[in-house]
Amino acid sequence: MEKLHFNFDTKDAISKPVHVGVVASGDLEVILRPTDKQTEVNIITGSDGFKEVWENVLKRFFDRYPIQANIEINDFGSTPGVVNLRLTQALEELEDEK
Amino acid sequence: MKNSFVELHARERALSLLDADSARELVGPLDNMISPHLEPQNIVPESDDGIVLMKGTISQKNVLVVSIEGKFQGGGIGEVSGAKVVAALEKALADNQNGKTIYPIIILDTGGVRLQEANYGLLSISEIQNVVIALKKYVPVIGLIPGRVGSFGGMSITASILSYLITTNKARIGLNGPEVIEQEAGVREFDSSDKNLIWNTLGTKQRAKTGIVDEVVDDTVDEIKAAVIKEIETKKDAHRTENADFYLSLLDKLDLSKKLDISSYDKLYGTVETTKHEITEAVSGSKEGTKSRGRLWFEKLTGIEKATSSVPTVLHAQKNGKEYIAIVPDADNAYPRVRNGEVGLQEGFAVASIVNKIVAEDKDKTNKRPIILVVDVPSQAYGYQEELIGIHVALGSSAAAYAKARQAGHPVIAFIPGDAVSGGFLAHGLQSNRLIALDDTSITIQAMSKASAARITQRTIAELEEATKHVPAMAYDIDNYEKLGALYKLVKGIGSWEATSENVEKINNIIDEAIQSTVDQPANLHFRYETPIAKTSGRKATLQVRQLVDEQW
Repeated sequence: MEKLHFNFDTKDAISKPVHVGVVASGDLEVILRPTDKQTEVNIITGSDGFKEVWENVLKRFFDRYPIQANIEINDFGSTPGVVNLRLTQALEELEDEK
Repeated sequence: MKNSFVELHARERALSLLDADSARELVGPLDNMISPHLEPQNIVPESDDGIVLMKGTISQKNVLVVSIEGKFQGGGIGEVSGAKVVAALEKALADNQNGKTIYPIIILDTGGVRLQEANYGLLSISEIQNVVIALKKYVPVIGLIPGRVGSFGGMSITASILSYLITTNKARIGLNGPEVIEQEAGVREFDSSDKNLIWNTLGTKQRAKTGIVDEVVDDTVDEIKAAVIKEIETKKDAHRTENADFYLSLLDKLDLSKKLDISSYDKLYGTVETTKHEITEAVSGSKEGTKSRGRLWFEKLTGIEKATSSVPTVLHAQKNGKEYIAIVPDADNAYPRVRNGEVGLQEGFAVASIVNKIVAEDKDKTNKRPIILVVDVPSQAYGYQEELIGIHVALGSSAAAYAKARQAGHPVIAFIPGDAVSGGFLAHGLQSNRLIALDDTSITIQAMSKASAARITQRTIAELEEATKHVPAMAYDIDNYEKLGALYKLVKGIGSWEATSENVEKINNIIDEAIQSTVDQPANLHFRYETPIAKTSGRKATLQVRQLVDEQW
């Protein structure tokens, strides 16, 4: 298990907290919470040694969707593709109810 | 296209059952109520700790859906997840008691106790069983076992107590998983790589034939929802844990000289005639019984030397108005898997029969006789025929009997001079109002042997031992167990084997104090949350969960 922490300077406010996913094998859960502070991502992952990969996946995501949020991720060995999918799914949940 | 229910995650399963827009989740992922015990063991937690609680309606009837996430840590029950279930069911009980009908539905997808929080798992599961028994006086408690993990371990004991079990053909139900039986009893007892044997034995097709589950429906959301609605409306109750006489009659007819196979069991199940079984009180025999701490203390507390009984592993006697019950080893027992004192089929059903009789006799009395359990159980029995017949029903029968006795007003006191492990402890010990233990390093309290726990949690024994140092709930010794706050008393200065007359008198006094302490107190298991140790550390997360559920109910 490894804990990772990232910050991003993104400014698009989100309207409400959302939760998607399950901490199942090869999967993860993502929680987005609105914040007025700097965007923060706290990750607990079962697969050690992938800090750089996480950084790349998150950077690409925030480049495309610069949301300002406090993000919590509990990951049980998901691939970068699944991570991106869940993050996008969380955004969809935000859109749905607007 | 048909929508599979099994393929859904726990939250989606709960939502799919509830009327559109009626669902409201309690203590959900955003409440930050995660297990404090996983991260210290380097295990990734989940924000809902694998339990989804949802209130809502199903065809306009108020329901509480408890849905276990089988994909997270195998649906194992730990402190937070267990407390969520107990707290919500207790709120449902209170509503029903106040005339507000709400139907609980439990979706089981679970391996039982979460081994990384083993002792919390055992405590929680016994607390779930207690509230289920209480709820059944008001409403049916429907269980759904859709499948993938299925239902195993202590939660299968719970399943046996539920009113009615709906399943699909994708589920398996048993007490000990095949891998654990193989680990404990050898590959010849149960070959865990033989998938056909596993499905034929534990699959719902077989289980429905022999009274372990009540209904097998197709795996579609619509079929499952329809079955749930039907069972709520007809208020079905299988009374699964009230068949001790039937099972004891069945066991009388069992040919123990050869390995039981499925077709012979089916035949036996269909033809057995139920006769009344009365387990007579233990008397002095001519031969010393197999030595154990449990037997030693039972004999000293009751004054019966060389105690012997019609079920050699179950000793029961009355002394000074108190009913003593012990499960003991028997080196020559006809059932090889209970020779070391494990709780097996006969033990569960015999204890249930004894306890139910006591409760029936005292039904109209104001003063109910105290029941004292002498606990020295190294585990439940690990065996193939045990699983085929349904050992979890045997253990459920005794657990249910003890819970009913307590709820009827009998003080139920467990005295622990020996081991208190796993399903054995759930069946014989954990339904007590008060737990008294000797402070002796030889005592093991846990959910699984180290070898099996290491295999199932995919760690080495060294890694497991390292974890036990930091997490009291993982430990195997009584001093760490005390840190959970569940004990009424940890008795210092008396060793497990030191049953001198002076020590016996001391224990008798402590038992009497414990009985006194139950007078005019609620007959539930809340004592465990209210000790100073529980409040300050042992059950802190439990108490937090209870408060949150209360606020959000």
